[in-house]
Amino acid sequence: MSAHAPPRPGVPVSLQNLHKRYGDHVVLEDVSLDVAAGEVVAMIGPSGAGKSTALRCTNLLETPDGGRIVVGDQVVDAGAGVSQADTMKLRRTAGMVFQSFNLFPHLTVLRNVSLAQERVLGRSRRDADARSRELLARVGLESKADTYPGRSSGGQQQRIAIARALALDPHVMLFDEPTSALDPELGLDVLEVMRELADEGMTMIVVTHEMHFARDVSDRVVVMADGGIVESGPPAQVLADPQHERTRRFLRAVMDR
Amino acid sequence: MTEVLAAIALGVPSTVVVTALAFAMGAVLGVPLALARRSGPAPLRWLAQALIDVLRGIPPVVWLFFIYFGLGNDVVRIEPLVAGTVGLGLIASAYLAEVYRGGLLAVHAGQQEAAEALGLSPGTTLARVVGPQAVRVALPGAATYLIGLLKDSSIVSTIGVTEMVFRANAVSRSTGDGLMPFLVAAALYIVLSAPLAWASRSLDARLRRRVAR
Repeated sequence: MSAHAPPRPGVPVSLQNLHKRYGDHVVLEDVSLDVAAGEVVAMIGPSGAGKSTALRCTNLLETPDGGRIVVGDQVVDAGAGVSQADTMKLRRTAGMVFQSFNLFPHLTVLRNVSLAQERVLGRSRRDADARSRELLARVGLESKADTYPGRSSGGQQQRIAIARALALDPHVMLFDEPTSALDPELGLDVLEVMRELADEGMTMIVVTHEMHFARDVSDRVVVMADGGIVESGPPAQVLADPQHERTRRFLRAVMDR
Repeated sequence: MTEVLAAIALGVPSTVVVTALAFAMGAVLGVPLALARRSGPAPLRWLAQALIDVLRGIPPVVWLFFIYFGLGNDVVRIEPLVAGTVGLGLIASAYLAEVYRGGLLAVHAGQQEAAEALGLSPGTTLARVVGPQAVRVALPGAATYLIGLLKDSSIVSTIGVTEMVFRANAVSRSTGDGLMPFLVAAALYIVLSAPLAWASRSLDARLRRRVAR
């Protein structure tokens, strides 16, 4: 399955003192997080805690008001007017998967995966399509290549979205609640693909409500609440013996579901 | 009857040319107008909005008189066909800009985000991701406008373009028959617009089928 993946693709990621506010509302307050190369971090916490915002700052889909983002050898200082070139380079390094898939409905599955390879990496259409077929095979959906995304189930669409993000050979993968829009059963295939990625050494930051994933796949669980990180540690410890009251309250709510 | 038909049918090319060129002009000029209105810097946004409001707020016939009689004079002679086409084309650009804007607004914000996250440039995002989806939404509105324009192009008869209504009017005056020439013109309009309506419906259905969920 992983024959074509570069060995140990991950690079370290460091978010340093990120601040972000919308008007009076503080979304991120001094958030710092170091992720080692190949580490899988699960970000959990109540909605509105700033998890997604922190994740989206990592590839500059959101611009933090202050702080520094380091991905591999790229350093971006938020305060200092980020250049378009830096933004593009960062996004090439960090693949992103959204809760609502966001596949391009007017393009075939194959073209969804190929478009950025041609436009961003400058690959020929032939090379891009060949690589896309490899990636689709890897997520188990080569047969869907020439159909439109609307023909696939939610779980399949999310796997296609993962293939699309992998097409730029990223060194970090960012997942924003990748299974929240899926029936639990459909989410299993998505989680399986993510687990394989983790095994291959991809650096991954996963905002999730899947406690199974957090426990079984992640190396570390980070708990966010009210715009800050309240707790961080090995999944077994954080999930079984949370230290912070905020974490305990959140876990009780999630486990009760 | 046959002579009446023949005389009025001579106006078909003018009607078709004015309609087609004005629509083409509006379809092209509407794009920058819609983009400026949507995501330009603030002054550009206001300018685009003001332009759209002025173009739509003044009756077409006033625009035509303004261009033909106002700008055209003894020194600069503007052909009626040119004045009519330009006038209707400018107005079309304002309406089509709004149609395009509606199409752009209908594209889910996640599409823009996904394109950004993939590192696609703003130009590529518009041309390959957001634009094609917006066009699909805008298509029925644009087609409706085209069919409307075909009929409303008759107002260029007021500045002397010898299209169908101008000729029907001429035949009516020379024969004293106020009914038949206009019935013939009406029938010709139906003949011209029916294929447009059919084409827009089938194109729309085809695009819809492709992106069906």
